[in-house]
Amino acid sequence: MQTVPKRLAVKFNLARAPQLQPADIVPIFQRWIQQRTVPGMLIDVIDYKHVPDGPGIVLVADESDYAWDLGAGQAGLRYIRKRALPDDLSDALRLCFERAALAARQLEGEAPGDVVFDFAAAEISFLDRLAYPNEAGVAASTQGALSEVLPGLLGADVTLSRLHEDSRYPLILRCAGEGPLAVAASLA
Amino acid sequence: MITWKERLKDEIPLEMAKLIDTYEAQMSLRQQGKMDEKVFAEARLRKGVYGQRYDNGQRHDGVRTQALAYPSDDIVKGPDTLWDAPGMQRIKIPYGGLSARQLEALSELADEYADGILHITTRQDIQLHYVHIDDTPDLMRRLAAVGITTQEACGNSVRNITACQLAGVCHDEAFDVSPYADAMTQFLLAHDDVQDFGRKFKVAFSGCAGHACGLVKMHDLGLLAQSREVAGQVQRGFTVFVGGGLGTVPHQAKALAEFVTPEELLPLTQAIARVFARLGEKKNRNRARLKFLVAKLGIDEFRRLVEEELATVPHDPRHTAYLDTAPDFVNAPAKAGLQLNGAPLPEGFDAWYRSNVYPQRQPGYSVVTLHTPLGDFTAQQGFQLADIARKYVGDNIRLTVEQNIVLRWVANADLPALCRDLREIGLGDAHAGTIVDITTCPGTDTCKLGIASSRGLTAELRTRLIEKINLLPDAVQELKIKVSGCFNSCGQHHVADIGFFGNSRRSGNHKLPHFQVVLGGQWQQNAGSYGLAVGAVPAKAVPEALAALTERYVAERAEGENFQSWVRQLGRKEIKAMLKPFMQLPTFEDNPAFFSDWGDSRVYTIDDIGVGECAGEVVSLFSMEISKAESTHFEALLALDDGDWRRADENAYRAMVLAARALVRTKNLDVGDDSDRIVNEFRERFYDTELVYDRFAKGKFARYLFKRHAGTPTRLDEDYAHQIIDETQLFIENIHSAEQRINGVIVG
Repeated sequence: MQTVPKRLAVKFNLARAPQLQPADIVPIFQRWIQQRTVPGMLIDVIDYKHVPDGPGIVLVADESDYAWDLGAGQAGLRYIRKRALPDDLSDALRLCFERAALAARQLEGEAPGDVVFDFAAAEISFLDRLAYPNEAGVAASTQGALSEVLPGLLGADVTLSRLHEDSRYPLILRCAGEGPLAVAASLA
Repeated sequence: MITWKERLKDEIPLEMAKLIDTYEAQMSLRQQGKMDEKVFAEARLRKGVYGQRYDNGQRHDGVRTQALAYPSDDIVKGPDTLWDAPGMQRIKIPYGGLSARQLEALSELADEYADGILHITTRQDIQLHYVHIDDTPDLMRRLAAVGITTQEACGNSVRNITACQLAGVCHDEAFDVSPYADAMTQFLLAHDDVQDFGRKFKVAFSGCAGHACGLVKMHDLGLLAQSREVAGQVQRGFTVFVGGGLGTVPHQAKALAEFVTPEELLPLTQAIARVFARLGEKKNRNRARLKFLVAKLGIDEFRRLVEEELATVPHDPRHTAYLDTAPDFVNAPAKAGLQLNGAPLPEGFDAWYRSNVYPQRQPGYSVVTLHTPLGDFTAQQGFQLADIARKYVGDNIRLTVEQNIVLRWVANADLPALCRDLREIGLGDAHAGTIVDITTCPGTDTCKLGIASSRGLTAELRTRLIEKINLLPDAVQELKIKVSGCFNSCGQHHVADIGFFGNSRRSGNHKLPHFQVVLGGQWQQNAGSYGLAVGAVPAKAVPEALAALTERYVAERAEGENFQSWVRQLGRKEIKAMLKPFMQLPTFEDNPAFFSDWGDSRVYTIDDIGVGECAGEVVSLFSMEISKAESTHFEALLALDDGDWRRADENAYRAMVLAARALVRTKNLDVGDDSDRIVNEFRERFYDTELVYDRFAKGKFARYLFKRHAGTPTRLDEDYAHQIIDETQLFIENIHSAEQRINGVIVG
């Protein structure tokens, strides 16, 4: 059975948001805490928009974070599962995709202006350099394992590619489909 | 599945590995309820593992206080501090010095255990936020593997030893203080004489009197480099300052000794630590810093006591062992020093050069400052910066007390290319050290004591000032702004031209976040004087108040007059009158925006303020020492579970020696680490005198120790391992009982 990483994250990039500023996200995330809009034990909102290409605005929860993430110069909604991951990688991936898609859909409905995410692709981060070092062999075997797991979750036509080759970075796989990934389409 | 402990076992120095293993065992004991929560809290803090806001299980969401139901909410990691609540990990970076590999390791940890951000503190530490305590032992192992420790980063201990980031390359210094700061760091780390303080103890080194970088006058112990000529030879030494500190009640340090030679430096520091441990306040933590002891005794009496103590400090070869190499200490440049050679300059290079580049005294080289907004940078920037460092300067990276990073030994010919490379990663902004380069503590973002959002205010001021920086007169551009979220001065507001610290006021039935304005502090002269508090302004009115203040300064200052002088001339009364229009409180109905803090949409509340862990609880030396014995006993149990009888025996024996040592140290602080000496003193002081005798078992438990100390066992099997572990448990209980019985006699 494929090891479940210590932390697992899924990010959907933003397709368009002509008027949205990172600062607009702060009151939305604070409202999510008040109204318990998204799953998790929500704790606080942190504002990191002053650092370029960083974690942006983060809604910190006990077992996970939801971030208006600005990593790699690309805004998006990133769900990071930090603790209490399911024992099975397939279940862990499903959980992360579902939570990320749910939060992104929620933002599309709440954020000012015409906010649209690109649900035809996503980035999966394996934040565990012990079990998932960012090495070619590990990336290949992980891609192999995921190719069996992902079709049921995302649709049959998903392709996977490795985002960075620098071994200092976490292993990040980009998955892309022909159209919206199934997990997101079901929430439309 | 391999663990980090197994993976790194050959890369971590044995002593460091042992300290981390002990801490991990203490974590297990606390989770099982077998270690007192206050003792664990202090042990945790001494590993740099710190609490964060909302770790008491509640948070005001702007409408109501919500309970935060952490999964294991019946387990605490300290008083009112829930186990699962995210916390902060402080990491000591002695004198701010980092290698490229260390920067990479820190960056890896930021995105695996924290939120992807590395925060530089005002004492050259790195802090990671939102870290779960369960992750901290592996985090420490990964740091230890690259030569970094978190040992004594918080708690009642010697904190990170800081030094001027220009040490060794500065034009004005007497000499490079780096090797002395390094030696003191190594010497004091986990030293017996620094384990029984009532409060934290901060040390700083500076190479010169005039500049600010070392800030020696605001430290418990400040060492200012001096040189003098003796018989035609230049002799190095230090003026020693004691009893400085900011906090609620700032004190300027007093000179303890005008010239202390390097040979005398470490023994003198040890003597100061022993006097502080013996006579410093232990009950009232608000009066427990060294500054209060110095003020109470007077510097002359304090000096007399230190000199008296110095005579009792045992000889230690480490006092002078480092001195042979200290004078030659130099961070070697990675490249030859070459002057700018007419290569094309990137746009904006001149402005960047003016504010961010310091020509070293070594021809052909410069120090480049990287301005990190709010002291933050990302893990990705950390990796990229490590690449840039390797390309231009090797391992010559240092963190600064103004929450920036410097690259030293940059060949001048590389400056244009470096400027471009830094811009590529978002660290090439100009204006380092100017009015936009604002220092700030974490404030209400993560600190339990925060009253107002220092980071929110800083971000807002920074955004506004950057927009108009090029229009501001030089006199304003040069001003220093420093912001704290409360009166505790972590943002060092007392030593800024313009300082702010958070407080709150009431209007009707609502509270408003405010900032007290503190003017005219002196950053230069090693934090030479402290500012005047002139009144509290609502947080949302601070930008306008700042603009009014700086505009008037520019309009009225005499030619060449600095801000401190102008403030003194104008006087507190007149300044207060100037700020009065900004101090008016609106009603909630008239201006609800004033009732939220910067960067926060919630209606403001002070309900989330908690109890700070700055210095932890004051826990007795005995409690801390016996807890080491208990955690070592726990390691013996783990070895038993693993079927490793030899390791079980060794840990059990070590636990008994540590327990005996805990009791002996209540009589003799200098007993040291030698097992023979510990057992002999234990026998003489407690066994022969029958002080350790149990009412029924008499000296039976002590004899378990004597028996094992007399020789290693002839058979090592499961039965034996069980037996010695049981005996160790009984012996530790016996030591606890004895200490409780005789505590008043011995310690009182």
